[in-house]
Amino acid sequence: MTAKKIPSFHYKNCVSCSICVQACPVGALDLTRPGKSGRYRNLFPELVNERCIGCALCAKSCPMECINMQAVYEGE
Amino acid sequence: MKSCMGKVLKVDLTAGTTAVEKIPDEVYEAVLSGKGLGAWYLYKNIPAGADPLGPDNILGFCSGALTGTGTFMAGRWTVVCKSPLTGGWGDANCGGVFSPAIKQCGYDAIFISGISDKPVYLYCNNSKVEIRDASKYWGLDATEAENRLREDNSGGKIPRIAVIGQAGENVSLISGICNEGGRIAARSGVGAVMGSKRLKAVVLAGSRPIPCADPDAVKALSKELGRKVNNIKIPKGLGGAIWAAGIGMGKMPAMPLDGSMTSILFREWGTPSNTPLAITSGDGPLKNWGAGPGEVHGIKLAMAYNPEKINKTEEAKYHCYSCPLGCGGRLDITGVPYSEFYETHKPEYETLQAFGPLCVNGDLGSVLYLNEILNRAGMDSISAGNTVAWAIECYENGILTKEQTDGLELKWGNYEAEIELIRKMIAREGFGNDLADGVKRASDKYGGKEYAMHVGGQEPGMHDTRNDPQLGIHMVAEPAPGKHTIGMAIQYGAMSLCDICSWAPPATIHSKKDDLEATEEMALISKANACYSMLMDGMGSCYYAEMMGVHMYKAIEYINAAAGWNYDGDHYMEVGARIQTLRQLFNVKHGYEPSKVKLPKRMQGMPPLRTGPLKGVTLKNEEQVATD
Repeated sequence: MTAKKIPSFHYKNCVSCSICVQACPVGALDLTRPGKSGRYRNLFPELVNERCIGCALCAKSCPMECINMQAVYEGE
Repeated sequence: MKSCMGKVLKVDLTAGTTAVEKIPDEVYEAVLSGKGLGAWYLYKNIPAGADPLGPDNILGFCSGALTGTGTFMAGRWTVVCKSPLTGGWGDANCGGVFSPAIKQCGYDAIFISGISDKPVYLYCNNSKVEIRDASKYWGLDATEAENRLREDNSGGKIPRIAVIGQAGENVSLISGICNEGGRIAARSGVGAVMGSKRLKAVVLAGSRPIPCADPDAVKALSKELGRKVNNIKIPKGLGGAIWAAGIGMGKMPAMPLDGSMTSILFREWGTPSNTPLAITSGDGPLKNWGAGPGEVHGIKLAMAYNPEKINKTEEAKYHCYSCPLGCGGRLDITGVPYSEFYETHKPEYETLQAFGPLCVNGDLGSVLYLNEILNRAGMDSISAGNTVAWAIECYENGILTKEQTDGLELKWGNYEAEIELIRKMIAREGFGNDLADGVKRASDKYGGKEYAMHVGGQEPGMHDTRNDPQLGIHMVAEPAPGKHTIGMAIQYGAMSLCDICSWAPPATIHSKKDDLEATEEMALISKANACYSMLMDGMGSCYYAEMMGVHMYKAIEYINAAAGWNYDGDHYMEVGARIQTLRQLFNVKHGYEPSKVKLPKRMQGMPPLRTGPLKGVTLKNEEQVATD
């Protein structure tokens, strides 16, 4: 099985600043995920296609430290 | 400078060529990037007397010195050029996601000269710079063109796009440049310059890393700010009472404020929170700057613009790049009966005030609709609103006839006529053609100059100089006159500049009447305000970060961390002063004399208003900005 790392988001501290979206070199992220609590109706980042190359630039760029790279295996 | 790319892209649309120029480190040390780099480049390269709509004018798209370094609220892009509206220095500033995209293509700025013989757009990524045919996008509104350009350039990095609508294509002198579905760099007629070059759009899809001297230190500052913003809470439902707070504010003395105040309001409601406050406090001009709240049913108007009503239609919040605050939003406007659009950006306070209370229009839906029309066409809502208000006052006073207005009944509150007039201005059709170049030129043709609110040719922002004499100073002394974003008393009260600058006077509790005087202290306050504003523009930082004050938004710490420098506030205020001086020198080089710029008599309180919080106020503006 081949392992690949993709971003895993911890939304509690996320401020929707889109720094991670713009850091992504392949356009794999966008602010499209609606917040759960709804008070501020924020949109949060998520993977929006299969282009992620696991480069971790999104995780490195996040000032709020909301992104970890998590291993996934093909077929998961 | 370790947070910059060290070079700019130069494009000559006449020759169809591109080139790269390295920028010496000393330039960044002297003026940073953003508006500073733009001023340095344009002062040097636009020949004196150049036609603003001719090939010698240069249109610059400038990113900020701190953009992309992890610095929060530093994602503004600035457009610079010689303004066709004033004939002097021109700039406009915008949020969205375009600013980091400039640097990710490898440049701090893109400077465009010449005129193409057919519609084109500029495309850049990591390895390519191409001038491409834009015939199929010409004629589309800015949002539609942006969507199609994004689709046609999809498949990898999300392209970020600056684009003009029909107003820019038609070289309206009050047109701007849009990104992200109608966010607009609106002022100074920058859209007309882009249209005159037949440049429909700039499409950027680079992914280069943006350098930073100490990314961990920058992140730590951002994390602290992000946590503070995330912890801001305000009880629900208070928006409906803001108008009452405005009545109190109108009677209160000027005073120091906590920097988090504007963040509280803007996080909850965005800038529309200011509309009811402005109507009742005296901050917002009413009835073409000619009435107090009591003369226009001010409380009823203020309740019509209750920001809670606007929030009820909000589908999602909108954050600009690197902003934790998120004062923007996308609104559902399917409930507006005459709208063919289903959504719009949350209008800024400026747009709400300009087409609402300034025109004595209490119909919120009409302003939401106008907001979308103007955003798509790429027309400046401040200039357009002042121009429409002038036309209404002229019509009401018999200076304009129904024949001249193509049959439009331009009466206070007639929003259907407002909408039709705006359509005509965008299309340059009939009477609208004469208004598409702003209120100065319209009043030159038709008269009614006493009702034409412009400062040096540019229509003023929606904050009343009689309520804030400091603002009156900046509107006149600013190289791009009429702008409301350089300095105000309320802003100075929130910034605590005396804590980073040895010569900036502390904000004090004092009577607003004291601000009418031409004193040494007022001169220093105005200088400090302008220097800090220019510094933030050089960094690429937002006006609302400026309003947070130096303790919440740690600008000096941010620059030192990102650039690898170790200077103090006095040093950086000098940088701000240098940027402002360069912009003034640009005007001097082009024969645009600062001493000839005056506030309209009405904005000086000559004659004074008869009612309301500004009753009896007359400015001593000419004494305050005397240049000899």
